[in-house]
This record gives sequence, C-alpha cells and structure tokens, in this order.
Amino acid sequence: MAETAIMYDSSKCTACKGCQVACKQWNQLSSPLTSDEYTYTKSFQAPLDLSPKTWLIINFSEEDKAVGIDWNFMRNSCFHCTEAACEKACPVGAITHAENGAVSINQEKCIGCRYCVASCPFGVPRWDEATNTTFKCWQCQDRTTADRKPACVSTCPTGALQFGDRADMLAAARDRVAELKEAGFTKAEVYGENELGGLHTIVVAQRGLEAHGLIRDPKIGLTDFWQLLKPLGGIAAAGVVGALGFSYFMARDYSRDTMVLDDATGQLVKVTEVKK
Amino acid sequence: MRYIQRQSTYARSLHWIHTVACLSLYVTGLILFIPSVAAAVGVSTVQGARIIHRVMAAIFIIAPVVSIFIQPKGFVHVLKGWFFKWDDKDKEFMKKFVPYLLLGGKQHMPDQKYMKSGQALADIPVVLLSIAIALTGIVLVWPDFFGGGAFVRWMLFAHDAVMVLLGIMMIAHIYIGAGIFQPYRGSGRIMFGDGKVSEADALYHWGTWAREVLAEGGDNVTTE
Ligand code: SF4
Ligand code: SF4
Repeated sequence: MAETAIMYDSSKCTACKGCQVACKQWNQLSSPLTSDEYTYTKSFQAPLDLSPKTWLIINFSEEDKAVGIDWNFMRNSCFHCTEAACEKACPVGAITHAENGAVSINQEKCIGCRYCVASCPFGVPRWDEATNTTFKCWQCQDRTTADRKPACVSTCPTGALQFGDRADMLAAARDRVAELKEAGFTKAEVYGENELGGLHTIVVAQRGLEAHGLIRDPKIGLTDFWQLLKPLGGIAAAGVVGALGFSYFMARDYSRDTMVLDDATGQLVKVTEVKK
Repeated sequence: MRYIQRQSTYARSLHWIHTVACLSLYVTGLILFIPSVAAAVGVSTVQGARIIHRVMAAIFIIAPVVSIFIQPKGFVHVLKGWFFKWDDKDKEFMKKFVPYLLLGGKQHMPDQKYMKSGQALADIPVVLLSIAIALTGIVLVWPDFFGGGAFVRWMLFAHDAVMVLLGIMMIAHIYIGAGIFQPYRGSGRIMFGDGKVSEADALYHWGTWAREVLAEGGDNVTTE
C-alpha cells in the first residue's frame, strides 16, 4: 500500500469545526454534557485542548491587526510521523505504524504508562484516567482500509481537508503555497514534507509555521538517546559483570591465615584455622 | 573466637526491606525497560509488574525516610560514617582497591575505620542516585501534575539513566558485600545474618575499628 496523508490547507479552513464533530461521531467519542466543563477564554476555540475523547480540534490563533483579526487556524491532531517518538517510547509495543504511515494505539495493549504522552513533540496522545489507557487520532484506519476517506476529510465543506497518496498531497500543498505566495501571503509554507522523517498530515500554513503554532524542525533527540540507553546500559552492565568475573577468576585460589588480636601485645597472631 | 556485633537488628531489617524492594524494582523495571521482555511476558504481566513496581517504590522511599525519624541516632551514625577526614591509610586503601579487586585480593590493604574510604566513596553516590531515582519516579507516577511534556521526557530519561548507573553499582555491591568476592567470604552474615563479624574478619577488613571495639569490649563483643 502506498503511503497516504491528510492535507490540511489552513487558507481554505473556515473553522466550522465540522471535522471535530465528524471525528467524534465516527469514533463514538462522547462530549461533556455540561457547559461548566468548558473554560471560557474569549477565544472561539472549543474545546481548548485535545483529550482522550477529543482527538481533533481546530486551534484558533487569533492575531489582532490594525484592522480586524488574522484567523490563523490550525488542525490540531496527530501528525502520524514517520519517526514517531510515541512509538519509540512505548514499552509494550502498543503503538504501531500501518503500511500507509498511519500511527495508532492499541488500547488492548496499552498499560497507561504515558511515556508516549511525554515523548510526542506535539503533545498529541492523551491518557484516560478511567480506562488507564491512552488515545489519539488513528487516521480512521477502519475507513481508509475500506477505501473511504477519514471522517474529518469526508465532512470538510470547503475542501480544506484532503486525503490521498502522500506524494499527491505534497504536490497539491506545494502548488497551493505557490498560489498563496502569488496572492501576497509571502510567508506561506508547506509543513510535513521532511519533519520527523516525513509526516502523514501535510499542512499548508498560510501565514508561516509560527503563526499557526507549528514547531519548526521538531526534534525527538532525547527519545532517540533514551532508546540508545538500552543497548548502552546492557553493554555497561555486561562490562561490569565481565570485570567482576575476571576478579573472581583471579581470586579463585585465595586464602588467608586467620589472624586474631593478642590483647596483651596488640599484635596480630595467627591461629590454626585457615580461611579458604 | 570473638565476634563483634557490627549491624543492629534495626539496620539489618531495613537492609532486608531495601534488598527486597530493590530487587523487585529491578525485575519489574526491566520488564518495562526492555521492550522484547515486555512483549514476551504479555500485557497483563506488564500491567502487574507496573503495579508491583509502584508498591515497591513506595516501600523503597518510605522505609529509609521513616527510619530517620524512628532511629535518628542511627541516621547520624551513618552520616558520620560517610563524612570523615581521610587519613593516609584511607587514601592508600583507595589507591590499592581497584588492583586489589581485579587481581585476586593479594595485596596487603591498610587498616580501615568503621567505614572504609572506598565504601564511603561508593555509598554517597548510591544514596544520591537513589534520591534521584525516587524523585524522577514520583514525576513519572503523576506526569500530569508536573506539567507533562519536555520536563517529563527528561525525567523519564533521567530515571532510566540513573537506573543503569545504580544497577552497575548494585552488581558490584552484591559481588563484594554478599561475599562472592573470595576475600570477602562471610560478609553476608553482617547484613543478612545476625549482624556479627568474626574478630579475624573484622581485623582484616576494618582493622582500626576492630581494635577499638575489641579494646572497649562490652556487649558488642561475644565469644562463640
Ligand atoms: S504526532 Fe505525536 S502521537 Fe502522532 S505519530 Fe507523531 S509522535 Fe506519535
Ligand atoms: S501510555 Fe499506552 S500507548 Fe502510551 S507508551 Fe504507555 S503503553 Fe504505550
């Protein structure tokens, strides 16, 4: 199967939140039923963050301008990284890559350690206290393996979300960025081509990465180094065991006389016992 | 032969508790640390290991902290044991120790006080690393409380890095302390038995201390 990707074009997004709702509906993710569970922040963004039951939100980065506001929308969900820190960190192999590049968590295997939560550079996976397992977008693999688009893509009314071969999505994103530049959005950029080995969510950032809250050149060096600790630790432990084994071998014929103290003279005197 | 009481019942009990806690923490921690082991034992065993890891971690932290309050004198005694002014014999001991250990214990080692200089030098980092592994572990139990993200990522790394360092020191500690190393045969009795050391062994390992205690006599010296 070829690699696939979702393409999110922030310049076409109207933040209608249809994708948020479709994600919840398809994946059967309930919403809180009381308004008290939301904190009012004057932003149009709601809910404010991802959660075990909210795998996709549209982030609102509302920038005040001399006239009006720049609505720098951004689709906040899993990027399905090729170099997925979450997958590397998971101690039980609950996180895996599908052939098309989508990264998913198997809750049957998840032990709730939250190593993935700590390792993801985008803060995507969310731990659920009730089930002690972690959740995130799985790019609707039940749909994509049946030749259907992810729920969010299929519902997007403006064409801001598209799904297809990753190469095609990248080509479309590059074309769109060229158009935007021509239209005066000089900071427009493509995100996801090479980041973390290539993402499977490609973004057209209309006003540049920073304006949309995207991390320029995300790094997972610490997670990689942490993984290296495993063989290094093994080698170090084997080295110590080897050195002590050598010590044991060298002392194999060790014996010493049993010496006790002569209280009268303060000298050590040999007694008949010989300690082997 | 005369025997010297080197460790109290209290100290030995604490050492027993910590031995069980440490070994359990290593076994359960390695299940989480090595993915192939986790995969081999299966999800429910890993989940069980995680719970045992936390219970044992609580014991690992609480036991010494509580003992400071129950036996403050013992705590001061331990501190004094670590922080003493090194004399020439202590420095000589340290210089000779690595060849002594690796080449079969043939060298003559200088007399030592209650705490050998090398013992103090190993114990202090072990205690500091133990505090570090406890603190980083606490962060890993409540990552959300500590803000998650990069901080927790560092704590996770630090927890495992300290585990490797402590593991290496632990292997050496067991080799020497439990008397697997031939010149230290019989040392296991001090912490795992009745806390006594024979006069001959005490004179060999802690000559200065043994002479002091034997001269004092009293309840700490018995004849068997
Ligand atoms: S964005 Fe985070 S959760 Fe998604 S694949 Fe990358 S590291 Fe994993
Ligand atoms: S929380 Fe679950 S999915 Fe995440 S690293 Fe731990 S076991 Fe793996």
